[in-house]
Amino acid sequence: MAGQQPPSEPRKDDEPPAPNSGGGYVAISYLIGGMVVWGGIGWLVDHWLGTKGIAMGIGAVIGGAAGVYLIARRLGA
Amino acid sequence: MTGQTAVLAADVPFPPSVGDFYLPSIVPWGGHDSWFTKITLMLWLSVAILIIFFLVAYRKPQLVPDKKQWLAESIYGFVRNNIAVEMIGKEGVRFAPYLATLFSFIFMMNLWGIIPFFQISPNSHIAFPIILALISWVMFIYLGFKKHGIGYLKIALVPPAPWFILPILVPIEFFSNFIVRPFSLAIRLFANMFAGHMLLLVFTLGGFAMINANLWLAPVSVLSWLMTIALTFLDFAIIALQAYVFTVLTASYIQGSLAEGH
Repeated sequence: MAGQQPPSEPRKDDEPPAPNSGGGYVAISYLIGGMVVWGGIGWLVDHWLGTKGIAMGIGAVIGGAAGVYLIARRLGA
Repeated sequence: MTGQTAVLAADVPFPPSVGDFYLPSIVPWGGHDSWFTKITLMLWLSVAILIIFFLVAYRKPQLVPDKKQWLAESIYGFVRNNIAVEMIGKEGVRFAPYLATLFSFIFMMNLWGIIPFFQISPNSHIAFPIILALISWVMFIYLGFKKHGIGYLKIALVPPAPWFILPILVPIEFFSNFIVRPFSLAIRLFANMFAGHMLLLVFTLGGFAMINANLWLAPVSVLSWLMTIALTFLDFAIIALQAYVFTVLTASYIQGSLAEGH
């Protein structure tokens, strides 16, 4: 039997960083960040054009979608 | 009036307010507006305890460690292996001293929240978490620029995506990497310590308020004080967890700055 070899320990040095290393916080900050940034830009556009929250709503939706896209890109696969 | 003296006075102000966090000066000869409060004392004590403990524990290192040395080595070994190396990789060893200092300092500062007669954490004043978060913030930005030069901006701000979506994504990356990070670090630690102290105040003072209002409520008061004891144990878990989370996130930001592209 090939029982003479030392047990194969996982080599910590070569592993990528732990998968759940703050990934949740990153995801939340992308989601909220997306909506806040583009919602905020939309709010400025509202002020500039005199519309009442239309641009801010569109901005928040676009920002939320972009946040989801970023999460998929940075954290997924 | 502070929470502690209020309890002794037995006619308690209820509910507790933010004012309960602003403690009076404790210098016997100084006026009421002297800057030396219990918070200052606990800060100095934390630093002194940590320095003296680690110096004494490592003064004559033994091959078979005694209790002090075992404790000190466990703390350092835990931060080095389970946080620094695990998150950053081999390079992480050179950040282990800072991360271990950060971890034990935050833990000690938080621990005052449940030590009898102190029972408020200096970290429930946002100034302390802000400074700690600023150090982490400056550190990961500095490390990023030192490692990648100006290319760090590309790594940090430009995600792998088609060019026509980038104008939408780059502001979000900037916001979440450079603005949200220090805020969330500071506020997470501050809010946990603030809420922990507030909870203990509510249940302790609430017990007195009820027993003063109506003697028939005495059993509920006792229940409230039992809750205080249970919440103190919960607070201990949160104290350790928040010290760990702050250190892990700092390590993860450092890792992000040192990583080779995406």
